[in-house]
Amino acid sequence: MTSTTMKATILGGGRMAQVLSGMLLRTGVQVQLWARREEVRNKLAAALKDVKVCATVGEACEGSRTVFLTVPANALAEVSALYGDHAEGDHVVLHAARGVAEGFVLPHQAIRSQCCVRKVGALGGPLYTIADGSSRPLVAVVGSRFTETVELARRLVSGTSVRIHITSDIVGVEVAGAVSNVTALAVGMADALDLGETARGVLMTRGLSEATRLGVRLGAELSTFSGLAGVGDLIPRPVSSMQRHRDVGARVAQGATLEQALASVQGCVEGVLTAFEGAALSRRLGVKLPLVCAVDQILRGETQPRAALDEILRLDIELERESVSAR
Amino acid sequence: MRQEDQERILTELRSRLVRDIGQSADKGTTRVDEVLADSIYHELRRLKDEHDRKTREREMEFWRGIQKRMRRASDRAQLDLVGEVASHYSREIAGYFDMRVYRAVTRAGEPLLAMLLNAMSPKRLVQSFPHLPTLEGTLTVQGETAHLRRLHELGTVILVPTHVSNMDSIIVGYAVWKMGLPPFLYGAGLNLFSNPILGYFMRNLGAYTVDRRKTDPLYKQVLKEYATLTLEHEYDNIFFPGGTRCRSGAIERKLKLGLLGTGISAYVNNLKRGKAQPKVFVVPATLSYQLVLEAETLIDDFLKEVGKSRYIITDDEFSKPQRVLDFAKQLFNLDSRIFFTVGRGLDPFGNPVDDDGESLDPRGRRVDTSRYVMLNGQPAEHEQRDAEYTREVGNKLVESYLEDNVVQCTNVTARAILTLMRRQNPGMDLVRLIRAGGKVEDVELLAVYREVERLLMELRGLAGRGGVRLGPVVDHGTAEDVVADGLRHFAIYHTEAAATRRGDRIFPTDRALLFYYQNRLEGYRLEREEGIKPALAPDHKSLYRGAA
Repeated sequence: MTSTTMKATILGGGRMAQVLSGMLLRTGVQVQLWARREEVRNKLAAALKDVKVCATVGEACEGSRTVFLTVPANALAEVSALYGDHAEGDHVVLHAARGVAEGFVLPHQAIRSQCCVRKVGALGGPLYTIADGSSRPLVAVVGSRFTETVELARRLVSGTSVRIHITSDIVGVEVAGAVSNVTALAVGMADALDLGETARGVLMTRGLSEATRLGVRLGAELSTFSGLAGVGDLIPRPVSSMQRHRDVGARVAQGATLEQALASVQGCVEGVLTAFEGAALSRRLGVKLPLVCAVDQILRGETQPRAALDEILRLDIELERESVSAR
Repeated sequence: MRQEDQERILTELRSRLVRDIGQSADKGTTRVDEVLADSIYHELRRLKDEHDRKTREREMEFWRGIQKRMRRASDRAQLDLVGEVASHYSREIAGYFDMRVYRAVTRAGEPLLAMLLNAMSPKRLVQSFPHLPTLEGTLTVQGETAHLRRLHELGTVILVPTHVSNMDSIIVGYAVWKMGLPPFLYGAGLNLFSNPILGYFMRNLGAYTVDRRKTDPLYKQVLKEYATLTLEHEYDNIFFPGGTRCRSGAIERKLKLGLLGTGISAYVNNLKRGKAQPKVFVVPATLSYQLVLEAETLIDDFLKEVGKSRYIITDDEFSKPQRVLDFAKQLFNLDSRIFFTVGRGLDPFGNPVDDDGESLDPRGRRVDTSRYVMLNGQPAEHEQRDAEYTREVGNKLVESYLEDNVVQCTNVTARAILTLMRRQNPGMDLVRLIRAGGKVEDVELLAVYREVERLLMELRGLAGRGGVRLGPVVDHGTAEDVVADGLRHFAIYHTEAAATRRGDRIFPTDRALLFYYQNRLEGYRLEREEGIKPALAPDHKSLYRGAA
């Protein structure tokens, strides 16, 4: 099958769905898109002329073996259940979620719990640069245990300026992506409290360290966190989803309730649920995640942001070393 | 196996291997001369340690012949030599199932096991007659037996039992017969064939030979292809997925998946041929003993070189006929039970299957499994993809083992005593505690009862949620009943009892054995509230780091 005749399904109607549609169209792929709400479908049909916008998941999956799930982590199970009626064993599913579902269920686990597909891949790394739309080199990480999944992702972007880095460590890619949003919340809080650039650097380092500790405990590879899906994701300048998280963090630090802060931004802030679930998991597994737990407490209004962040900044750096060597 | 199938399988095996190696040579991924040189190197090296002079000379002659002819062989002739080596290996592996022998043995009914056990020593067979131990009343076959029978009708079954003892293959073979199923093929270590009489029975009851001393990659390829072909010819198989008996006594957590992957190969080949019943099912089964014949040797091996256990043990209790007979007699004289629990079947991709042999997704919808193996619209094997599917099957098997393991009194009693010892000797390295003993040697009987009570509460709660199965005394008895039954079993067979009661105290007389029997409860997190670290690492193949 050549890429010119290839069909791809996109389930979800957010910004990522639009960016992906544009990119796939440019490579000659026929895009079939489904979104739950009619007004979103109408809007997308008007904005994306060459995309077939479908009213049902079944219609969107017709003749396609490649499925993109572009909904947030907490909606993945629900959409996967709908998709499950049309899923087949040779389908490849890629998702771009950067969070977890209730019970710290990772995105690939949420998808797998609802349908028969095996070949699931996570898009990660500095993925948001795809939204840039310029001809500058754009890079994403695809994590999947199946080489067929990553080969397909590479085929889909061949001839574009997008470069795909591959890893079999899907757990690492997902944990790194999810925890980076919690870190963004913390950085937003620190910025609002005017703690300075040093604090920002310390919080980002600590966030990465906690992602590593948790990821390794959940079966991820250490090297993933020092690669593009980990460090590589922290360095690029902030863009929409990261900015959303910083904005929410900043508003909470300035005294707004979580509800007020969430109402003030558009789009999903996956880091909030990740912080709640991460803190619960930390207690359950006995894994030390001080930053995640502090963000959780601040978001719940159980502690003062300044005091909690000061406490985090005072923590001994030895803790991080221990975390990397610990299993 | 039927003689005509045997011949067909061996011929096909040879041509498949020659074809596969020829194809990878054409692609440039393999060199035929390297494959041959590898085989010659590995085998000549191994043969240096072969004790049997006749075998050594015969084998040496074969390999030197191959070596000599290889030097002046053309590419085509080298491939023929590969075929010759493949045939050489496959003839050694292949079992020969004789229906007449099988019928004769099974007609004997219950004394089958006794015959097999006594077959190791004809003299003892005569001496013991007519007081042969039988399995009647000792072996309980339970779980999804009807489901297994149904899957056998709908496709080919790979039965995958847990493996702790060399007795397993005999017990599983017997359980299969008890369920009214035809004999399953299984791979048995070469050492089990060393007794001519037992070897004769095993061979005729479906065993084929696996020589784990052979490290030649081609041998492993032949072995896998042989298993694949038997599955394609609709012979149900038994695979012991741990690869060897579990040394620690714990439930296997890390399975060797190479042979299990043959299920996918057979399924793909069946689809390619358009077979009417192409399906292959993987069915887990769990064997639970009160006492394990080779416990002393196995745990000693585990502790001696944690993580570097001998892969092949040839001098254990199984090789001593007297021990086997004593074990069988004494165990069967107690109201002791061995449980063989059949789990729900899976497809080779890790999906559960229903009684119609249909695969189900997590929401119970039927799945067309042929789509898992499609490449460009055709069924085809894909090494990396299939290995990943098999890994998932492995994970599901491990879950099933934990759920279907039947906890016995020896496990609970040993766990309670060792937990108390660990509490009495805080901070002491676990291996040191087991090897040298702690500062306080014995434990109070009442404390053991209290600990057993706590364990029973945890276990019964877990069993209620379907997380484990319980033996009758563990299920309904009091803590006193459980300890009494556990100690009674410890006293009857092992060289030294694992623990003995003296008045109101219990003395752990063989701490290694206690460790062995308590390990069967690893993986259930029974001490999560107690602040005691697990004894074994998550893979159950080594000690937990810093276990104290």
